[in-house]
Amino acid sequence: MLEARLQTGALLKKLLEAIKELITDANFDCSDNGIALQAMDNSHVALVALLLRHDGFEPYRCDRSLALGVNLLSLSKVLRCAGNDDIITLKADDTADVLSLTFENTDNDRISEYELKLMDIDSEHLGIPDTQYDAVVSMSSAEFMRICKDLQVLSDSVQIDVTKEGVKFAAKGELGSGAVTLKQSANVDKEDDATLIELQQNVSLNFSLKYLVNFTKATPLSTRVTLSMSGEVPLLVEYKMEAGYVRYYLAPKIGEDN
Amino acid sequence: MGIHGLSKVIGDNAKEAIKEDDIKNYFGRKVAIDASMSIYQFMIAVRQQDGQLLQNENGETTSHLMGMFYRTLRMVDNGIKPVYVFDGKPPTLKSGELAKRTQKRKEANASKEEAEEIGDQEAIDKFNRRLVKVTPEHNAECKKLLKLLGIPYVEAPCEAEAQCAALAKAGKVYAAGSEDMDTLTFGSPILLRHLTFSEAKKMPISEISLQKSLTGLGFSMAEFIDLCILLGCDYCDSIKNIGPTRAIAMIREHKNIETILENLDTKRYPIPEHWPYKEARELFLNPLVTDPTTIEIKWEAPDVEGLVEFLVRDKGFSEERVRKGCERLEKNLKTATQGRLDSFFTVKPSTTPSAGAKRKADEAAAGAKGKKPATKAAGRGRPRK
Repeated sequence: MLEARLQTGALLKKLLEAIKELITDANFDCSDNGIALQAMDNSHVALVALLLRHDGFEPYRCDRSLALGVNLLSLSKVLRCAGNDDIITLKADDTADVLSLTFENTDNDRISEYELKLMDIDSEHLGIPDTQYDAVVSMSSAEFMRICKDLQVLSDSVQIDVTKEGVKFAAKGELGSGAVTLKQSANVDKEDDATLIELQQNVSLNFSLKYLVNFTKATPLSTRVTLSMSGEVPLLVEYKMEAGYVRYYLAPKIGEDN
Repeated sequence: MGIHGLSKVIGDNAKEAIKEDDIKNYFGRKVAIDASMSIYQFMIAVRQQDGQLLQNENGETTSHLMGMFYRTLRMVDNGIKPVYVFDGKPPTLKSGELAKRTQKRKEANASKEEAEEIGDQEAIDKFNRRLVKVTPEHNAECKKLLKLLGIPYVEAPCEAEAQCAALAKAGKVYAAGSEDMDTLTFGSPILLRHLTFSEAKKMPISEISLQKSLTGLGFSMAEFIDLCILLGCDYCDSIKNIGPTRAIAMIREHKNIETILENLDTKRYPIPEHWPYKEARELFLNPLVTDPTTIEIKWEAPDVEGLVEFLVRDKGFSEERVRKGCERLEKNLKTATQGRLDSFFTVKPSTTPSAGAKRKADEAAAGAKGKKPATKAAGRGRPRK
């Protein structure tokens, strides 16, 4: 049986906003470690992996591992009934076919209870190899969102070049071209705005902007985002939270040589 | 014609082997397409409103070119990279089947004349379609068209399906595209059907996995091939009175045709006089194909002027449409193709812990009251009373 109480309900709401447009149904894999989810989008271009560690909940109890199959749109609809300051408790029996959600508002002693029907989902789990990335860029998540949205005006794909000087996002389309370069900077005053680059080797990769813009829906979860890249392997976009993370993987666009 | 009733057998026994998906989710995939079958299909399906074949001013048929041009464009628009495979010489074993087809054509011709006499337009149309024959000229024209389009093609030494399967097996392409189910029998890991259908049909692509079919049936490849022979293939007759259900049961019990024959009540199930099942099996196991590693597949830019010359001047296509089509081809060739995660990460068996399995077991125990119907209804989170 699972029982997980989350002090800031807003976190769960934001999480759902961050993934619900990419995937429709997914299994929440609950174990004593916490709650995890891994799912690919329909076209097998992007993958979401998220983890809410057990220490993010108070209390957290999961006696045996459970997979809760959920339609994410439905869950987000139910979560819309919760206030941002509500305490959210998730509960499911080992054999349950519903997930029960309780929203408590301490200010006005309001308690609402919902049950969400679960579903059987056959999902393909992907084994993600531990990769030593050639370039890891850590930057402001708001800045990343702005760049993606700005460049989307021009083209449906962006070329990301990372050198030790900085990271450059460039797009070229029918109406013209544009590029944004962020120089490596350790901005001491505003830590959140700094752009940090760890580089083994220069990289230059092409990605679909549609997907990147979709990933930036996770921006409210964290002020920072890291982009990890190596030649010819999927990009990793990670938003770290206090007790967990949301990771997006995106397959690169490949040139015509194949 | 493939294997008689195989798609139903797989659908009934290994449901998980068949997956339906939108054509747009196949972007970036290379697919080997059985050209001969596609052309035949185009000649049947691509018609004028009155059911006549499309023709140019000189009365030459253009249905095959029209089909080839637009359906290929549709695939390319969706990011698929097609390579066509043409039939070579039919295997000698197929002569029986071919003779049957000629016979059928004759019958159709006779019926058509009959229908013409009484003026039954619908019947005339029907028999007209049965009379369709793909001539070497049609094939040659299609090859010419493909060359101008910059789409690669391969000439198989023998059966095109077998060559498609070999290409897919060797990893040269992702899948074989054909309507013929015997592509699976030839060992193609994945078969895509409905790939060359028209957009208007809104038919999703049906993807059939050989491995999952085998697992679902609980058969080895050798047993699967024997099953296909029993079901009825192009290369030898099937035994009378043995339908799909009995064929599966027999293979389950006896594992191969030899043992089945030893235990067969030949009065109830008369074995055809000349029944070269061993040769047929050999043909499926080791078909005559060109070694896929020696084949180079390359997609090139279309020859626009050449296409206009051929399609517009010779075949009476609309110039505007041909040029538009070429633009689409060029655009798709230039833009980098989106990669797919599954080519980087490997699918591992579901790590869903026992709880999931248990729930499924529970569901089975609960019978019809299980959760499956809830799948649809799950769209609504229902407030508790």
